[in-house]
Amino acid sequence: MERGELALYFHDELFLPEMKATNKEEALEELVDLFVKNHIIRNKEIVLEMLRKREALGSTGIGKGVAIPHGRTLAAPDVMIAFGRSTAGIEYDSMDGQPVHLFFMVLAPPHDRSNKYLPLLGKLVEFISEDQVRQQLLEAKDFQEVIDLIVGE
Amino acid sequence: MLSKQLELLVALQDLDCMLKEVEEVKALGFEAPGKEDLEKAREELAKKIEPRLLSTYNRLRKHYKRAIAPVKDNKCLGCFMQLPTSLSVRGRRDDEVITCQGCGRILYWLD
Ligand SMILES: [Zn+2]
Repeated sequence: MERGELALYFHDELFLPEMKATNKEEALEELVDLFVKNHIIRNKEIVLEMLRKREALGSTGIGKGVAIPHGRTLAAPDVMIAFGRSTAGIEYDSMDGQPVHLFFMVLAPPHDRSNKYLPLLGKLVEFISEDQVRQQLLEAKDFQEVIDLIVGE
Repeated sequence: MLSKQLELLVALQDLDCMLKEVEEVKALGFEAPGKEDLEKAREELAKKIEPRLLSTYNRLRKHYKRAIAPVKDNKCLGCFMQLPTSLSVRGRRDDEVITCQGCGRILYWLD
């Protein structure tokens, strides 16, 4: 997957410039709520249950202030990313113990025909591993700046 | 907390998907030390499902890859059969287990 292709999975209505959540559970809920408000997800509890189970498998707080809660659920119609930020940072039980400032919630159906889910997760991890990218994502003024950053313009 | 039988079945299928993909996800750089805990959680979840429904789920899972099919635009996305519109209101309440008349899969309304 090309880096620019990542941008296809981000959506303006699934961007939260400043999250209100103060802990992990609230952060998951706030991001799932975005999908619900935009009529992408109908049953919120099913999705939250899946995400909680995923965190039980191992924290998706991968360190350096980034969390990528993810999973396949029958309740998701397509592969999609919700992106949220927290200036203050949220305790997330991360691998390095640091609070999380950048959240990428990746939801996918049990089977995506084009099999994009795992390559997408991989690309996202790679993209976010650059120090400069993380800083710029925190500073992006609006959704368009986020997209410009991803496509590398 | 999930309480309805259909929700529990969907959660079970989601969990089965997750357990199947643990190695792939680890290869991407995520840690997954809790696999055994998750397998236990799967057993706990299965206990909350009525035995008759659970055996339907297991039987369907052997036959198809996944026992539960999403419904979109009133179509079963397992076999693409058009479902009676009368089912959609009932289906969206998630409090009843409805199976597809075409393929027998358990149905979950996406929209
Ligand atoms: Zn069917």
